Order: sequence, then C-alpha cells, then structure tokens
Amino acid sequence: MTRKILIGAIAGLLTAAAFAHHSAVMFDDQTEITVTGVVKEFQYTNPHSWLLVDVTEEDGTVTTWGFEAEGPSTLMRAGIRRSDFAPGTKVTITGNPMRDGRPAALWVRAVREDGKEFDPREGFAIR
Amino acid sequence: MHSLSLREKVVAGLACGAAAMACAALAAAQPAAAVVEPSAEKQRMIDLGIEHGTAWDLYRYFQEQAGGGDTLTWDRIPDWTGIWTREASPFVWDPDQTEGTLPTAKLTPEYERRLLEKLARVAQGIEYDPLSGCNPAGMPRWLVEPFLREFVVTPQQTWLINEMMNEVRRIYTDGRGHPPPEDAYPLWEGDSIGFWDGDRLVIHTSQMREGQYQRLQPDYSEEVEVVEVWYKSADDTMIADVWVYDPPALVEPWYTRQVYKKLSNDDKSLRIRYWHCSENPNNIVIQTEEGTSDFADFTFTDADDRPADAENRREAP
Repeated sequence: MTRKILIGAIAGLLTAAAFAHHSAVMFDDQTEITVTGVVKEFQYTNPHSWLLVDVTEEDGTVTTWGFEAEGPSTLMRAGIRRSDFAPGTKVTITGNPMRDGRPAALWVRAVREDGKEFDPREGFAIR
Repeated sequence: MHSLSLREKVVAGLACGAAAMACAALAAAQPAAAVVEPSAEKQRMIDLGIEHGTAWDLYRYFQEQAGGGDTLTWDRIPDWTGIWTREASPFVWDPDQTEGTLPTAKLTPEYERRLLEKLARVAQGIEYDPLSGCNPAGMPRWLVEPFLREFVVTPQQTWLINEMMNEVRRIYTDGRGHPPPEDAYPLWEGDSIGFWDGDRLVIHTSQMREGQYQRLQPDYSEEVEVVEVWYKSADDTMIADVWVYDPPALVEPWYTRQVYKKLSNDDKSLRIRYWHCSENPNNIVIQTEEGTSDFADFTFTDADDRPADAENRREAP
C-alpha cells in the first residue's frame, strides 16, 4: 500500500476536539496530514480514543500511526462505533499532526474504503 | 504605535486566534471584538448578586422568598431524567462571551494579572491543564465541562452527575446545614445544601478547592462559594442560574446562566459508563520543563521517535 501524505495550511479552528483532559498545543492545528492504511486496533477508551492505523511506506516498512479522538460517549454521539473500525479495515484518515514528529495526530476525519466518512467532532453536536 | 500593555496584547492576540501573539501588535491597530452588553434580564440577575454581600446572604434571600423552602415527597418529584449536556462551548464559562474577547468576570487586579499571563502563555503554545494528571474538574468548573450528564432527584438528595471522572455532586435537601467551619476542608465538589422552591432547586455550595473556571478562563480561590437555581424551562432544556462569590478573585459576584440540553437517545445507546482516566497508556500526558503539555511514550511507536529533550520532562503531579 502506498503511503499518501498531504500537508496543507488550514484555517485555525477553536474546536472542542481533543478537549477531554489535555491541551491541544502538542498538535499543529494549522497543518493536516492524510495517510491511507489498515486499522491495527481501535482503542475505544476514556478520556481519549486512539485509532491505530498501519501505513506501509514506499520502501515496504510499516509505520503505525495513532489518531486521537474523544472518548466512547462522544464518538457514539458522532455515530462512530467500535465495530466501524475492526482490525483490517482499510481507511484514509486525516488529522492535525504532532509538532514533535511522532506518528500521531488529532483525528479530523476518516474515510473508510466503502466511502463512509467519520468526523469525530460531530460528537459535540446537540441533537 | 504606543507600547502595548499585557491586557492590550492579550486582547489583540485573542482576535488573532489560537497561535496569536505574533500578530498581536498588528491586531491592536484593528477595532476590538465587540463585548456583548448584558440583557435587561441578565443585568437584573447581576444586580441581585451585587445586592447580597455574600453567597450565603443570597441563598438565605432565596429561602425567605420561598417561605423557607420545600422538601420534596416521592409523589412530587420533577422529571429531570434523560441524558444531558451543556449547550455552550466548553471553552467559555459565560455563554455570552464572544470570540476574541476576555471572560466577563470582574476580576481583582491579582486575578486579572493571572488570567492575562495564562492567556499570554497559551498564545505562545505553553499550556497545561491539571485534568491532564487525571484530576477531576471539581466545582465550580464542573458546571461547564462537556460530555454526558444525568440529574437524579430524590426527596432527600439530588445527584448532579457529569460522566467525566465520574464526578457526582450530592445536593442535600433534607434540611441539614454545612459542616461546622472548624471541620471544613477543601473538597473537589464542595459541600452542597439546598431546598426546593416549587420545581426549582436552590443550592449553596462552599468548601471548594482553588482551581480554574476553564483552560482559557480565570482562576478561583479556596474562598469561592456558589449559589445556583436549577429548573427545567422546557422538556429538553435545563437552566442553572449561577452566582459565584470569591472576594480574592472577583470584585463582584459573577452571574451566568448555564444551559443544559437533553440529548435524543431513542435507541438508548447513550449510557454513562465508569470513566477510568488512565486505562489507556497512550493518554498519559506530561508537563514539560517549560510548563506545557506533551504525551508520554506511546505504545504504538518507538521511544526513539521522541524528541531529544525527552529526558528533561517530568511527570505530571
């Protein structure tokens, strides 16, 4: 699988993403990174969930990326269930990367191979 | 251009957005973001707080107005069932605070300085929240946390629950008073007593720990006391009128109206679960030497991926 990374400047948003228990200063909210890979594990936990995605580099090595989102109840409100990202699911996922270069990011949106989109920030909508 | 005060720089930085101090000087030349004037109703509530010198005075006033207050019986319990969440952004204490403006509290010089210095640090990317060490929010910050809430009413007690850190406030409505002052000590949720005025729950809370209203909001001292009036204004809307008294931090009580909305939950999928803050090692957050937040080592990547200054970090308290 080819690693695809798209980086671009985005408008700064003061959103409630990554709100639960820490500041978001470790993420670069002016940059988005997009990778395509296969779900390794969906850690559906408080105070934050982590979607771990194995991304195969062009040289064949595999990097596990972690995408952070809110905890289970907020993901449920966003319509993101644990079963939506079973291990082996192919996904293209976008996030604000960590400033220190580690392969982790704040989950902004994800598109599964079947075309279904998932935006964890929808979990803060009141309905 | 004149030399900017810290307040001018911070206000200008707020107008620039999150990573802002670099453009503060430029923004200072622009018109300031509009501060919303209180509505007549809000001003009446603000004045009500000012007219009473202490939180206890205001609570006693409400009690006198209610003829001493009611104790509920099981056949007269208001229906506060459901899953609720706060309506406003979690980043503001006062829902009327507009983007690019400072919090609406009337702060003492010391607490205004603390706020401005905090906001200046955040604008430089330096921010650490005690929640990161898995502390609860505690009262009064409890009022503005996001996530799911339940309100459980019984004749003797009402439990106000926020799922984050399993924080439960017990409001005693059986006529008991606060513990004697000599036995009082700071509590995360404080000590709350209350009475019913019809379907309105009136609460007095004292014995809280010092803390912050929210990350981008002022601090409060250990002397903070809160009066709340809770009632349901519609089937899906809960109102809490809140007056905060805190002489070291506030030159006058800080009145706000907090609104909570009932979430649709037809399939019953939303359920409050036990919140274990440290169950996932990937959520461990540390405070760096410069005072900002960072993740500890992840389980899914090598420690070698960490930046060179990793050994300079210290564990969060």
